[in-house]
Amino acid sequence: MAINAVGREIPDFIEGYGKTKLFQGAFARKPEGNIAGPKLRCVNSDRTDKRVSGVKEAIIASGLKSGMTVSFHHHMRNGDYVVNMVIDACAELGIKDLTLFPTALFGVHKHLIDHIKSGVITKIMGSVNGPIGQLVSEGGMDVPVVLRSHGGRPRAVMAGDVHIDVAFIAAPTADQYGNICGTQGPSACGSLGYAFTDAQYADCVVAITDNLQPFPVSPVSISQVYADYVVEVQSIGDPAGIVSGTTKVTRDPLRLLISRYASLLIEASPYFKDGISFQTGAGGIPLAVTAFMKQAMIKKGIKGSFGLGGITGYFVELLREGLVEKLMDVQSFDLDAVRSIGENPNHIEISADWYANPWNNGAAVNMLDVVILGATEVDTSFNANVNTEADGALLHGTGGHQDTAAGAKLTIIAQPLLRGRIPCVTDKVVTVTTPGEVVDAVVTEYGVTINPKRKDLIDACAAVKGLPVVSMEELAARAAKMSGPTDDIKMTDKIVGVVEWRDGTVIDVVRGLKK
Amino acid sequence: MRRTMLYLPGNNPNMLTRGYLFGSDGLILDLEDAVAMSEKDTARILVNHFLEQGEFGNCEVTVRINGVDTEYWKDDLAAVVPFKKLNGIRAPKVDTPETVKILDEELSAIEDKNGIPVGRTQIFCLLETAKGIWNAYDIACASSRVAAIIPGGEDLTADLKTSRSKEGTELEWARRMLVFAARAAGVDPLDTVFPRVSDDDGLRQETEFIKQLGFSGKSIIHPNQISIIHEVFNPTEQEIQKALKIVNAAKEAAARGQGAVSVDGRMVDIPVVKRAEYVLQRAGLSEVK
Amino acid sequence: MKTAQAGTLESMDCLVTVTEAQSGAGVKIDITGASAARFRTAMEKKITEVLSAMKVSDIEIQVQDNGALDIVLGARVEAAVKRLGGAA
Repeated sequence: MAINAVGREIPDFIEGYGKTKLFQGAFARKPEGNIAGPKLRCVNSDRTDKRVSGVKEAIIASGLKSGMTVSFHHHMRNGDYVVNMVIDACAELGIKDLTLFPTALFGVHKHLIDHIKSGVITKIMGSVNGPIGQLVSEGGMDVPVVLRSHGGRPRAVMAGDVHIDVAFIAAPTADQYGNICGTQGPSACGSLGYAFTDAQYADCVVAITDNLQPFPVSPVSISQVYADYVVEVQSIGDPAGIVSGTTKVTRDPLRLLISRYASLLIEASPYFKDGISFQTGAGGIPLAVTAFMKQAMIKKGIKGSFGLGGITGYFVELLREGLVEKLMDVQSFDLDAVRSIGENPNHIEISADWYANPWNNGAAVNMLDVVILGATEVDTSFNANVNTEADGALLHGTGGHQDTAAGAKLTIIAQPLLRGRIPCVTDKVVTVTTPGEVVDAVVTEYGVTINPKRKDLIDACAAVKGLPVVSMEELAARAAKMSGPTDDIKMTDKIVGVVEWRDGTVIDVVRGLKK
Repeated sequence: MRRTMLYLPGNNPNMLTRGYLFGSDGLILDLEDAVAMSEKDTARILVNHFLEQGEFGNCEVTVRINGVDTEYWKDDLAAVVPFKKLNGIRAPKVDTPETVKILDEELSAIEDKNGIPVGRTQIFCLLETAKGIWNAYDIACASSRVAAIIPGGEDLTADLKTSRSKEGTELEWARRMLVFAARAAGVDPLDTVFPRVSDDDGLRQETEFIKQLGFSGKSIIHPNQISIIHEVFNPTEQEIQKALKIVNAAKEAAARGQGAVSVDGRMVDIPVVKRAEYVLQRAGLSEVK
Repeated sequence: MKTAQAGTLESMDCLVTVTEAQSGAGVKIDITGASAARFRTAMEKKITEVLSAMKVSDIEIQVQDNGALDIVLGARVEAAVKRLGGAA
């Protein structure tokens, strides 16, 4: 056992994870050595068609065996058919003991619970949520889940921490030689950002499509040089679950209030000027912040440079109206975003590596001015928890939280102080996902609470009319007074989750829940 | 200031907890129309606990009680009047000065019993019938407790045997009458609610209209209406600068013992100075009450 | 056994069900819902406070919680107990 830089006790060795490296600070660990690579392959002109007849045939052709690691991207989101389809086929083929390495899992993947119970999947590296998260928290898996950020995942692959044996890539459109396009076809999802690393670093790449088109398809996201096999199936996803319809700004007064405070903070910051870049995501508060910022940008005649991350129709509107010059899109959330990325050259598809990897020659997050994030809870040192719920259950992936917080000049966590009785500000968070050193402000319905290290922001906000500035001590005291004292969570000794910081060090571990 | 007075349903813990955060000038904890008949007791107890232990920031706090023609109103008063946080009660269906007198007596009795200075609890009268509007001035003068009179919306329209229109034609005369009665009696004329909560443009138009009529503010049913109404009521930067100039010139003149002064080549007399002071007061730049 | 209810299952509210108990049976509290995992002790304390202020010593109380703060929980318990007393 040793204590890491955010005061968490981390065992030297975790069964099923291996030796741990202690988190020592957001930018402390430096890489050594070379990028790890996949197997070299050779395809000559005698092979001009990579199609195989079905998923099982592809699995057999890929050489996938028990004990190997399979990867998936999550651009099909809650409409995804591919993960379940592939794992079902693995089970039928008698393959067991797989490590599942998805970029994220969704509610639709609760189907996998049977495969976890029967031993087809014995390890998960990636976000677990909903029923699978509950299962993991209750000790339903023998080895811990490994949680990595969107940037930490490609880093882990390139550093050789994780080796992908077979990557199965849901492809909205593909040709028989494995060129893949995300913007066309019945299951169009726009950006394929999270799939790039898997295509580049897996020993074998299988594209699964429901829209096979003649060679060569265009535009190409992931090119033929990566694909080993192409499989045509009836459908790779349910469009209703892949992209949402129009994204509307909330009318909920509480969320609007918090969003207005966040926007006033941004307007008061030194970053609110021509060329501002921001990431706000798709949640109710972030979207409303964007709407308030838009009003302020128009009023003050300010134009932004780029919007980053998961892109919604609202950002597309900003691009069309010239309020941002470019969109850098790792994931397209709605139909407008899917359409735009297919048509507009200023709407750029970026990979997760490009977006957020701390170990390349500079990720897009480094260029960010402002990011709006959420969190289950924040402690008085501004450490944020996005992985576990107040009752201790491991229910959320890390997403881009760590990466954008580390990259952006102004990292804002915006959300209600109370969800029911449960406060979002506590003395000690259940799990540390993101260290307080990279969080600049917490915004609640009571005003803005600024990290004391950002004296410049405290001064800037003090001058703003209608923007209450509340110290962390006051906010924590208020939360404690309203909520009352908390009971300790009853945890087992078993480690069910390992939360890596984006550089591969362990920032925290998640323990099992006592029933 | 009473630009915005926000109704909070008396049986809704969420709104009672957070209602004050939205920045309205006042709050109306509602025991009347927002509460189902079967929940009058639970809402009364909930509001009682919030007045005792809750937080309301800098808002003026009132409780809309049930009408004096119901079995609830005395219990309502007993449950809310003893608390320091209460500034006044909003009484529905006030038709005649007698209604005010009945309330006045009961309030005095409760205040006396609880060791509160008699007369502390203000009364905000809702005039929801043609008769009430007709008696507006007498109602406003019926007790020194009366702080404001407010026209009804739906009830008044029904009593007039007409219906609510987008333009508000049916309420126009009642509104004018009410402003005159209130100003004559020295109480605040406060407007009724704007019911279409997602029609921001309509709300802005109506607010501009009632502000021009002379109303001091408006009752509201949704927090999202607050900023729109404040925008209309708040003086513009230009108005504030002009008012500052006038008030300062008047102060200097007074210091020199002069009466009238001129600002930017125009004579400034007492009514102009008063109006300028009112502008500064609305802008939060003056201690003048 | 006589029972009474007060409250709702809306956000930040709770539904309190009280049941008459025999003299000497004491207070029995059962809490389920949103805050149960982290706030059981605080909720039991609040309920006990309200009951002793109302001089109730024998009763069964069930709380289905959806995030009620103490101020709300107290009001709902008081209302339910009053309703139980009123329902002759």
